[in-house]
Amino acid sequence: MRNRFGPKVGNFEVPVPPAIDVENVSKSYGKLLAVDRLNLKVDEKQVHGFLGPNGAGKSTTIKMLVGLLKPDSGSLRILGQKTTGDNPAVRRRIGYMPELPKFPKHLSGLELLDIYGQMYGMSKEERKSRASELIKMVGLEGRGKDRIGGYSKGMQQRIGIAQALISDPELVILDEPSIGLDPVGMVEVRDMVKDITKTGKTVFFSSHLLGEVQQICDHVTVLNKGVSLFSGPLSEIGNKAVSRRLVVEVEKTTDAISNYFKTLSYGTVESTGNTFTLHLNTTQDIRAEVSRGLTAAGGVIVGMRGEGGGLEDAFLSLIGKESLAS
Amino acid sequence: MKETRRGGKLQAFLAVLRYEFLWNLRKKKTIGLFLIVFTFVTLRLALFPLLDYFSGVTLRPDPSFVFDNVSVLQPTLLLFLLAIATTMNTISGEFESGTIIPLLTKPVSKGLVFTGKIVAAFLTLLGAYIFLAVYTTIGGLIIYGPQNNLELVPAGVLGLTAATMVWAAIVIALGTLSKNSMVAALGGFGIYLGTTIVGAILTIYLGATSILFYTPGDGPTATTATCGAVIEGNATSFITGTNGLGSVIMNWILNPALSVNFCGIRFRGNRPETFALSAESISTVALRDIGVGVVYIIALFVVSWLALRRTQITE
Repeated sequence: MRNRFGPKVGNFEVPVPPAIDVENVSKSYGKLLAVDRLNLKVDEKQVHGFLGPNGAGKSTTIKMLVGLLKPDSGSLRILGQKTTGDNPAVRRRIGYMPELPKFPKHLSGLELLDIYGQMYGMSKEERKSRASELIKMVGLEGRGKDRIGGYSKGMQQRIGIAQALISDPELVILDEPSIGLDPVGMVEVRDMVKDITKTGKTVFFSSHLLGEVQQICDHVTVLNKGVSLFSGPLSEIGNKAVSRRLVVEVEKTTDAISNYFKTLSYGTVESTGNTFTLHLNTTQDIRAEVSRGLTAAGGVIVGMRGEGGGLEDAFLSLIGKESLAS
Repeated sequence: MKETRRGGKLQAFLAVLRYEFLWNLRKKKTIGLFLIVFTFVTLRLALFPLLDYFSGVTLRPDPSFVFDNVSVLQPTLLLFLLAIATTMNTISGEFESGTIIPLLTKPVSKGLVFTGKIVAAFLTLLGAYIFLAVYTTIGGLIIYGPQNNLELVPAGVLGLTAATMVWAAIVIALGTLSKNSMVAALGGFGIYLGTTIVGAILTIYLGATSILFYTPGDGPTATTATCGAVIEGNATSFITGTNGLGSVIMNWILNPALSVNFCGIRFRGNRPETFALSAESISTVALRDIGVGVVYIIALFVVSWLALRRTQITE
């Protein structure tokens, strides 16, 4: 984790607290342990994906972050402030979109944004201009004055995104923003989230869709059965994939080359013609070693490439590991 | 921009009020119930004069029509139904629809949300009753001629609103505890029926027994007449339970020295006999009625508040 410092005060630099800081948090519902000693840090300006299968504990964690649920143990801080208890001061700094959001059907989209804006203490003029700007941004132009009761699911997701942004918050928390939408709606919502990330805000969003996280986030935390399996830059999660493959193409296959591959203890080998595929059981980078070994065996390497190691492989590996462990 | 947002508690409170008002005013059941109440008030104003007109009887002026009719909804079931229509969704509806989640994640405390909702319910009822009082007063002046004691109408309206708030507090408490609007409505109705039926049975066998002072509902009937005697022209009687807060307060302000009788019933052989159970000053009756109403409202709101404060949103 890199050190972050804010403005200088006298001779000291004041460290900037993480946007989200979850320490050793557990939460259970009766006998079901939903979140188990979770640690999670999200730095400012990060676009952090919270990935996990359904029932992993993502929504429970987010509900604890926004104060809807109390943790059994541990501490949660947002922008340096404790979130436990009824703490409106913290909520003033965040915008939150719940999973499958529901809003009062009797209000119009514009009324909803205006009332929520008033709750943030925004002036009338500020609310009016922000609401119409957001209605436009989420593609509800011309429908802002309609009652929410007449909105489709996709439109409710859109107004959900708009209301999360009404106060121009420092931290945006989105819980499964594209769940339940058709493919077109999913792409549109994803584009909206991408637009939010361009504004330089810290974005923390949960999803069970790998592609969505891969397209939007720079950091990711993988959660399964309430346990964090990985948390760090998206670029590093590939190392967690145990199903990675190393594909080596040689000019001509000889017995010495075949025997060399058989001596490797990094996984199983498949061969097709002059192509050898190693199904790796390690995250170690063995390309240099293989290159040296093949040269020693008299082989000429035509090509060597790594396969797998993407988010999907990593995710499945992590989930698999966890399942085996339990 | 942040500076302008700092003093936002009042703003946030006004936002909750607006949120709740719009809900109350756009609810079909509130509008429907209000129309029913309006119809009843209209019938009360115009039915007898119309019947008199068609039967050739000359309409007699009634200078106490507004005083007698502005402070108690008849039947008092309407008072309960208005309370239900206004408050059965107040908190439980938010949980049922899921709208509680975005609401409680805004920078408003649960206390502010709760207070805003209660104040909005009170103001909605007050607004409805002010409208009905103005309507009754104007109608009374037109149909029954000049009216006495019109200055007491605002006190009657306040009392009527407080009386409805007792039932509203019961409905809100049931809704907050159960998170279910039907439980709130039906449970409230059960309590209303229970107290009404038990009250009626007790009245038949015991008369204006003091138990009825302390249960929500119509309560014992007070009279300025002598128990067991033939009621004279000037004697009045009125309910003194929480439902009758409006009329009790109006009578108290009108005549603070008034003494009222509560009549009991006893059986001599098979024949019921009315006798004087107790006599009290109107101020005692009024203060007790206000006290009972206030205790119910406060106690039930405290229960509701504690239930809401402890609630965690799992769904």
